Amino acid sequence: MSDKFENDLRDHLHKEAEEIREFPRQLRGRIREGITPRTRARMAPQLALAGALVLVAFAVLAVRSPQVILNDVRSTVTQIFTTQSPSPSPTPQPFICSDRSGGTTGLSGQLTGIRVAHHGEAPGFDRMVFDFAGGIPSYDLTRQESSVFVRDASGQQVTLAGSAGVKLVFRDADVQGVADQKFDLPAVREIVQLGNFERVLSYGIGLTSSQCIRVLELTGPSRLVVDVITAPTASATAAPTPLPTLPSATDLTPFSCQDHGGGSDTGPAMRLTAVRVAHQPAGYDRIVFEFAPQPGSTAHVPTYTVSRQASSKFVKDPSGLDVTLKGSSGVRIVFHGASGADSYTGSRDLTPGLPVVQEVEQLGDFEAVLSWGTGLSRPSCIRTLELSNPTRLVIDVQTP
Amino acid sequence: MGASKTSPVHGGASVYTIGMLMDPALGRVIERCRDGDRDAFEEVVDRYGLQLLRTARLILRDQALAEDAVQETFLRAWQRMGSLRDEDPGPWLNRIAMNESISAYRRRHRFQALTERFGRFGGGQHEVSSEQRLDLAHALDRLTTEQRAAVALHYYQDLSVEDTAKALRVPVDTMKSRLKTALRRLRDLTGSEEIPA
Repeated sequence: MSDKFENDLRDHLHKEAEEIREFPRQLRGRIREGITPRTRARMAPQLALAGALVLVAFAVLAVRSPQVILNDVRSTVTQIFTTQSPSPSPTPQPFICSDRSGGTTGLSGQLTGIRVAHHGEAPGFDRMVFDFAGGIPSYDLTRQESSVFVRDASGQQVTLAGSAGVKLVFRDADVQGVADQKFDLPAVREIVQLGNFERVLSYGIGLTSSQCIRVLELTGPSRLVVDVITAPTASATAAPTPLPTLPSATDLTPFSCQDHGGGSDTGPAMRLTAVRVAHQPAGYDRIVFEFAPQPGSTAHVPTYTVSRQASSKFVKDPSGLDVTLKGSSGVRIVFHGASGADSYTGSRDLTPGLPVVQEVEQLGDFEAVLSWGTGLSRPSCIRTLELSNPTRLVIDVQTP
Repeated sequence: MGASKTSPVHGGASVYTIGMLMDPALGRVIERCRDGDRDAFEEVVDRYGLQLLRTARLILRDQALAEDAVQETFLRAWQRMGSLRDEDPGPWLNRIAMNESISAYRRRHRFQALTERFGRFGGGQHEVSSEQRLDLAHALDRLTTEQRAAVALHYYQDLSVEDTAKALRVPVDTMKSRLKTALRRLRDLTGSEEIPA
């Protein structure tokens, strides 16, 4: 039978374990990368065979007509290389009503074209093909219940054709000569580049309505395929996940009553330099985390998760001690690849007493995992914005 | 309880119970994995990943190291998917994850492992005076990796002693002894009194 100490131990282990709120997207990407066959490795034996055959062909050149030999060599090599044809269309995968991530972390890609077309075969879908030179870089695809997007860097709002959207962000990617496009397809209405800054390339896609999607990563040439289902019954049968409410006219992006995540893990830990909290008359309390890169490294918003919770009680990292902030509910913000230990000189416990945000306190700064807790006067929906110059994560908490 | 004991895991609906009997839908996912379907394997990652990562983090006390161990776990699982028959992949993944976690810790902390070994054979563990009583988090840091793995599986995943022994590939009696030693050490470090049975 367990005694009090064993029960305490059990509780402690659960609290400590639950500091990890979700499975990190980067880790998911790394695993995906690890199980994806490497085209170059597969090509190596075939290239070696082609080379050997060429050498053999030239060795017998002296005893045969040169033209005949050249034709033989050309046809042999052509035959070998035709086995490296583009990857065939894979077995159709189900359409999924959730966000997707993938690509190859650390791989640099150049977007060379975007092609869009409707496919009539069941269940009917619009297909967007993003062609890449050099492989498919790491990407995040996020569905949204609005066609309103925010341009990177400038923060300007842009409304695309349609009533719903998908945001596609590529990391370590560049683009040249790919223009924005409008379509009159059943699902896809517009594709607009939202940003191309510091090798983070983002696109907004305007859709006629919120629909389920499927994503395929194909090789030879590298291309990311995004299919949006168009069948009229599809949304009903596939039961899309609830999406954030639409933004009011004054909002930049919709508030969402769900957890948020984003940022990128592209270099050394970012240094936290400021934390600001203020109420905005448009109907929200704003929390800003400002970062600076380490000397010689690239600025980026570190990978983060913003998790809502039903109480204002938090567990501090790594001590496991409880701390209860002002208010009755809370938001936990965790950055991976960030620290304020040597760079942040401000207060680590702010009590602004705003309509909703009551207290903002640092919960931990350990091994480049930086976490803060926010005590709220009431459960509220949130939105996040990643801004640059300077690098900031903005968290807006909706007020009544 | 026997090896088939399910292991109710605290912590919310998102945490999958490792050790449950395999449901037919999961069986179909595993079948697709065996056929090389990477999307199906991602479903397995989604289902078990968080639980494995949390357990590895408890053992390794280091987020990055835990992520590496879980990554290796799934890559090995993918390579060996053909060897998984009609069984719940949970305990199987757990066994791989434990092996990877302990190996990862040893690779990272070769020197510390050496001192742990010397400690075991030599002068014993450094004792903590009553003035130096630690909280549980720091006391867990002071256990050996094998002890932490046993504690994490038994007290966090709620595995039976038998299943914990199986996951860590040691005899049941060894596991009983390991858990008892770990618990005594934690009590000593935190200054907690043992309540007589």
